[in-house]
Amino acid sequence: MYARKRLKKAVLVVVALVLTILNITPLIWTFMSGFKTRLEIFTIPPVWIPKSLNLANYEAIFDKRLHNLENSVAITVGSTAGVLLIAVPAAFALTVFAMKNKKHLEFWILSTRMMPPIAAAIPLYLGIKEIGLYDTRWGVMLIYIGFNLPFAIWMATTFMRQLPGEIFEAALVDGCSWPQVLLRIAVPLSVGGLSTVAIFTALFCWNELLLAVFLTSSNAKTFTVVLTEFVGQTNIVWELMAAGAVIQIVPIVILTFLTQRYIVAGLTMGAVKQ
Amino acid sequence: MAANRRIRNLFLAPAIIYLLFMSIYPLIYSLYLSTTRKNLSRPYQKGFIGFDNYSNLITNDLFRTAIENTIVLAVASILIELIIAFFIARLFVAISDVPGSSIIRTVFILPMMLTPVVSGLLWSYILSPSLGIANHILRELGQAPYPWLASSDTALKSVIMINVWQWSPFLMLLMLAGLMSIPREQYEAAAMDGANILQVVRHIEMPFLRNVVLIGIIFRVIDNFRLFDIIYVTTRGGPGSATEVVTMYAYREMFGFFNVGYGSAAAVLILLMANIVTLVLNRFIRGEEGNVR
Repeated sequence: MYARKRLKKAVLVVVALVLTILNITPLIWTFMSGFKTRLEIFTIPPVWIPKSLNLANYEAIFDKRLHNLENSVAITVGSTAGVLLIAVPAAFALTVFAMKNKKHLEFWILSTRMMPPIAAAIPLYLGIKEIGLYDTRWGVMLIYIGFNLPFAIWMATTFMRQLPGEIFEAALVDGCSWPQVLLRIAVPLSVGGLSTVAIFTALFCWNELLLAVFLTSSNAKTFTVVLTEFVGQTNIVWELMAAGAVIQIVPIVILTFLTQRYIVAGLTMGAVKQ
Repeated sequence: MAANRRIRNLFLAPAIIYLLFMSIYPLIYSLYLSTTRKNLSRPYQKGFIGFDNYSNLITNDLFRTAIENTIVLAVASILIELIIAFFIARLFVAISDVPGSSIIRTVFILPMMLTPVVSGLLWSYILSPSLGIANHILRELGQAPYPWLASSDTALKSVIMINVWQWSPFLMLLMLAGLMSIPREQYEAAAMDGANILQVVRHIEMPFLRNVVLIGIIFRVIDNFRLFDIIYVTTRGGPGSATEVVTMYAYREMFGFFNVGYGSAAAVLILLMANIVTLVLNRFIRGEEGNVR
């Protein structure tokens, strides 16, 4: 009986392994293709493993596209910092202070997230042009922060509500001011939750395409926009595309492995009965 | 208490002002633009035209196709994702006590973490009619090559496949969390009563999964109404209008033809549709519980 159960489990593990490998085969294929020469790309039948560890594609991208990668990094870091700076105090206020119509305010904040980016595209584009921030990192960050605030505030509020309220009162009695309570108690205690907020914001900014396409043209162009240009109308540079794709996703893969616990927590938050 | 109030407002004000600028201002501006014939490449062309943009839109064949495609894409993708997600989630629950299974799970969910642009790109390489590995494998198996993204008969199906590949892990994770929250005793009690697998699924797992799944569906509906990146790098709405979706349509009007009046009307309709679907689904959830977003 026991042996049969173990055998069954072993079979299931193998099935899970096979399905998982199949599922990421496209990633492995792309990873391999990033090392291929132009000749190998056009070889029929296709080669899985390139003959040599050819780094020319990567060199070409770092040579010509370093600036765009820097844009992506700067915009991701800047927007994430901005989101935390604005969302955390707001979440704290929603957690500790009583107010009339709090439920309505919270619902309104979350509902602004329903706005599809395309629905706000023209007003945001014209507005950013108007204030002279078109095709600048600041302009992109300004918009990215706005798109991430609703979810960030909601998530941060959920995490802060899990803290015992008595701690805040005790700190106040001890003579802390509210900003001190926020910085010295609420933030350190909810650091796990706030990391989740930061991870999801950073992912959004790093992955975003539509807003970046119309908010930038050359100076502040992000790497996602550059990637779309490898598949031009006539000449598709698959080997560069593959190398670019790998550069784009390596940080994500690392982040996913380092923070899988937070990612699962963030995704399933509120959806599952505790 | 007055001091508390000041602090509270100080903490909340930046977020609220920001969100007003990000939501109310674009909404009002879009509504206004949608009643004009404004075109950015023809600055002299202005003027209020009432609801003409809207009536032109709903009689426009391409826009209708875009709506149809968006609905087909959303419904088909979400249904297939749900089925795949359910089986994979059960599989991962069954091996959840095996050491290392969380690593397998993390690898499995990688597609959903990817930049959508990248998943579009890597699939357009794989599905490329002549160079793609997909058709090579088909040929090896003695099958005829499939046109994938290149033919108007198969392009939408191929986009759905890419979409499903990327997002099944999302619903899988939600279901996994739902299944893991079921107390073991319930399974044991069911086994004692001699319940078969279907009864267990129907009477124990479904009730636990209902809300997670509905919330997951809401997210996926919203995502699918916004779907842009994958289409933008694979087909741009083609061949013909085979994969035209609403966001692509509005984008082309706005930033391809600079038809911002007409494009804004399309954007307003997209917003309206997304909100209606979300409201209906929300109703479903609130039917049983009042505490979910």
